[in-house]
Amino acid sequence: MDKKKKLRSKKTAGIRGWIQAAATLLTNIHIPNLFKGKIYQGNAKAVCVPGLNCYSCPAAAGACPIGAFQAVVGSSGFKFSYYVTGFFILLGVTLGRFICGFLCPFGWFQDLLHKIPGVKFSTARLKPLRYLKYIILIVFVILLPMLITNSVGMGDPFFCKYICPQGVLEGAIPLSLGNAAIRSALGKLFSFKCLILVTVVILSILFYRPFCKWICPLGAIYSLFNKISFLDIKVENSKCIGCSQCSKACKMDIDVCKTPNHPECIRCGDCIKACPKDAIHYRFMGKESIRLHQVNDKNHF
Amino acid sequence: MKTKKTFISIFTLCIALLLTACSTKEAPEASDTKLDDLYQQENQLFADHDDEWNKVFGMMNKSTADPSGNYADYLADTIEANKTSFTDDELKILADDIETIRKIEEQIAEIGNTASDNSDPKNDSKDESPFKNFSGQDFDGNAVDESLFSENAVTVVNFWFTGCKPCVAELSKLNELNDTLQSMGGEVIGINTETFDGNEAAIKEAAAILESQKAEYRNLSVNSASDAGKYASGIMAFPTTILVDRNGNIVGKPVLGGIDNQDNYDALMDQIQSVIDADSANK
Repeated sequence: MDKKKKLRSKKTAGIRGWIQAAATLLTNIHIPNLFKGKIYQGNAKAVCVPGLNCYSCPAAAGACPIGAFQAVVGSSGFKFSYYVTGFFILLGVTLGRFICGFLCPFGWFQDLLHKIPGVKFSTARLKPLRYLKYIILIVFVILLPMLITNSVGMGDPFFCKYICPQGVLEGAIPLSLGNAAIRSALGKLFSFKCLILVTVVILSILFYRPFCKWICPLGAIYSLFNKISFLDIKVENSKCIGCSQCSKACKMDIDVCKTPNHPECIRCGDCIKACPKDAIHYRFMGKESIRLHQVNDKNHF
Repeated sequence: MKTKKTFISIFTLCIALLLTACSTKEAPEASDTKLDDLYQQENQLFADHDDEWNKVFGMMNKSTADPSGNYADYLADTIEANKTSFTDDELKILADDIETIRKIEEQIAEIGNTASDNSDPKNDSKDESPFKNFSGQDFDGNAVDESLFSENAVTVVNFWFTGCKPCVAELSKLNELNDTLQSMGGEVIGINTETFDGNEAAIKEAAAILESQKAEYRNLSVNSASDAGKYASGIMAFPTTILVDRNGNIVGKPVLGGIDNQDNYDALMDQIQSVIDADSANK
């Protein structure tokens, strides 16, 4: 039984690339729209997708949660995005940053870029930059859209407008390729955001997932739930021989043995694959703790 | 490892196909922009010597206009017939301009020929303007139809929605434009995409926003299933502003982005002026 579980964890981690591809395809299912330069506008667009996936991608099946949050906070009718916040809590509590590792299209994009052979640099010394994403979350996603408003109480989606490279990659570029009118309206802001995208692309080749580590406000939100999410990673101390292969394999710079559920962990499973003793595995709703609880109950009676 | 490699190669192939598919669309666009540029050059000539040219345009009459003939000849004939009303200086300026126009017209004709050779069925369907059979109602419930357009040389149609910040930001400027246009034979109308099908709540909300921005020009609710409704639903960037002539045809290029931006305003005004000029030339 135990062996089976570990095998399943390894298998899951092994097919991560395919799951990412499938998730990207599912969240961008309206592929013909890419050639028409038109955005799908059906009812599904009222629902958020788990990953960072631009609403304005012509193929997008749903809305980007970060975009939706800003749109509601910045609208004149609402002061706070309760529905989107609820969505964050639901997904955070169930999956946490598993979404970053397995379901986010922009995470997959960076993974693919990092596969381009060449010099690779470690981000271990750049750990303080991790906190930047929390500042971006608070300032650009929450405070600025909420506070900088016009006479009728409307704010700009500051993160989408001035920072998000996924918006350029999925939204502006395909839309302008397929739509002459939009192409003619591109200006300085587009050039500026292209520059951000190019920077992220270059950094992604050199470093592993720089956007996720330092910038992504969605990752910042999910990271808050990593310690308590139903899906987590368990290191079995009885089997661990302290070889540190897991920490060496971890591209998110985490000491896996000490803090397997660190906020930075994107559940990619590299540590699971690297462990020579199969001591690390995924766990959902902490099965062991439930069993322990039942034992306690029995003792009680 | 092997699966990873195939995976990457398939992905690259998809991206490559995607890009090529998009780039094939560029070719007809290129001639479009060139054509636009040429017309723009002509309009610039008219604008540079607008005193002289306005005089000429005032003398034109529709009965002598020959749409298939050479435009430069037509201009020259008009001036020739009214030679006495111009001073020598004016005649020289006009003659110079006509020579330049003749060259531009030749280039336009060339592009026109190549364009009609590879015209696709998609362009043909575009010929039918969504505003030919127009119906809608203003926010007070009064019905309007395509006669709305025939009353004016040019109708500026602004597409917007209530939750769109840049759309709201330009409303007061559109109101100013409407005031300006009234003396020139034009009107601004707004179509709010949230107010389709006479949606009461959305109309109320839109009317409140319009009032807060002191925008008093007409806003219309159209049927989402109508041609105009479908055209509005197909717009991917807001605000979008287009020009409709007296016959209900969309003319010129849509202006994307608010006209509170001076560049957009100037571009729109240039187009408005050329539609009004064309209208008076056709009278």
